[in-house]
Amino acid sequence: MLALRRHEKIAVEALYDMYSSSLYGVISRIIVDTAVAEDVLQETFVKIWHSFASYSAEKGRLFTWMVNIARNLAIDKLRSKDFKNQNKNQELEINVTFIDEQRNTVYKPELLGIKELVQTLKADQKEILELVYFKGYTHVEAADELGIPLGTIKTRLRMAIQQLRKHFN
Amino acid sequence: MEDIKAYIESGILELYVLGDVTPSEKLQVEEMASRHPVIKAELDEIEHSMELFAAANAVEPPAQLRDRVLNSLLTNFSDDNNFPTKHKQPVKDNVIAMPAPKATSFYKYAFAACLALLIASVVTLFSVYNKLQDANTQLIALNSTNQKFTTTVNFMDRQLSIYRDTSFKVIKLKGTANLPKGLALVAFSPAKKKVVIDLADLNMPVNDKAHQYQLWALVGGKPVSLGVFDKDDADSSLMKEMKSVPVAQAFAVTLEPRGGSINPTMSQMMVIGNL
Repeated sequence: MLALRRHEKIAVEALYDMYSSSLYGVISRIIVDTAVAEDVLQETFVKIWHSFASYSAEKGRLFTWMVNIARNLAIDKLRSKDFKNQNKNQELEINVTFIDEQRNTVYKPELLGIKELVQTLKADQKEILELVYFKGYTHVEAADELGIPLGTIKTRLRMAIQQLRKHFN
Repeated sequence: MEDIKAYIESGILELYVLGDVTPSEKLQVEEMASRHPVIKAELDEIEHSMELFAAANAVEPPAQLRDRVLNSLLTNFSDDNNFPTKHKQPVKDNVIAMPAPKATSFYKYAFAACLALLIASVVTLFSVYNKLQDANTQLIALNSTNQKFTTTVNFMDRQLSIYRDTSFKVIKLKGTANLPKGLALVAFSPAKKKVVIDLADLNMPVNDKAHQYQLWALVGGKPVSLGVFDKDDADSSLMKEMKSVPVAQAFAVTLEPRGGSINPTMSQMMVIGNL
């Protein structure tokens, strides 16, 4: 961590090796175009690098901070007008499993069974998790999209994450 | 304690971890977390499971991307060495500001271009419209000139055909004491029973609105009306065909009240000519 603060080369290599695939997993599900997703990953690391001083460990985990940077950049890119125009015809309903089929998803041994878990999430929990986590919807937009009250959205999201927690414990 | 439980169950902590909260909500969550270890622990749990969830959904980026990213960071790294103060200002908040949407200058320029084009078009259209109007006016003028010529040619044609026609006799009606210098030409064809008066060569004063000239034929000593005509300077290019008469000994023109009279007013006789 100190090495990172000092902007040391070895630190950034370690950071990349540790987190690039997790971050790319999130980015590449929001942005389907491989070249653009790669650009966003690069931008993400540049931004992490530059604003590292603003991260404080008391406020939360490093990964949470990084993944939010990655997601915001990806969503910004997705909503930028240029990109929208390029992808006008792209269906919003590209589902996660479809993307997984196209990519070399990494399965770590200790995490085996996650796919089954996501499959076994209740349909409504899975839907909200995909919208918010992988499609970059805010919960307000998700409520609009699904025609469900905000409170219900929040509850469902919480239930979905509870389910994940149960699994990982 | 109940409040804390309700707060946890509201789902706000999950949204916080997903970065889907307003800045004020964010501050509130952080304040709650610093005050209540339970909330802090809950947050940590959520973060941890989301991290594992992300790891479980990890996608390995292409190998060559690693070099690209690291190189771009190292470039920044040397920049940082050159400008060591650049990143020293602490950024207090770890909210990742969404960059303001890039001004879509393309659309601005496109809009400006469209507007310019529109103005240019309107100006062009206006000038073309004016030219068209001019052209139309000219066309109308030309048309009327053309018509005038056609009328003239027709008239001359008719006149010529009458003068050529051997069955026509041209009678000169000479001025009486009323109009010593008066002169009118009447063409008469007994065979075709036609009487035509040449208004072009009429040497008679213009009649007023209350009066008209009337042409008479003397048939067996009795005057027969052949109709009325006007002496009009503006329209003097006519040969007027009068009522027909098979025989006549003389023609005369009198000035009568407008519309003509049944019997000629002898005192107003202007010209007369015998066959």
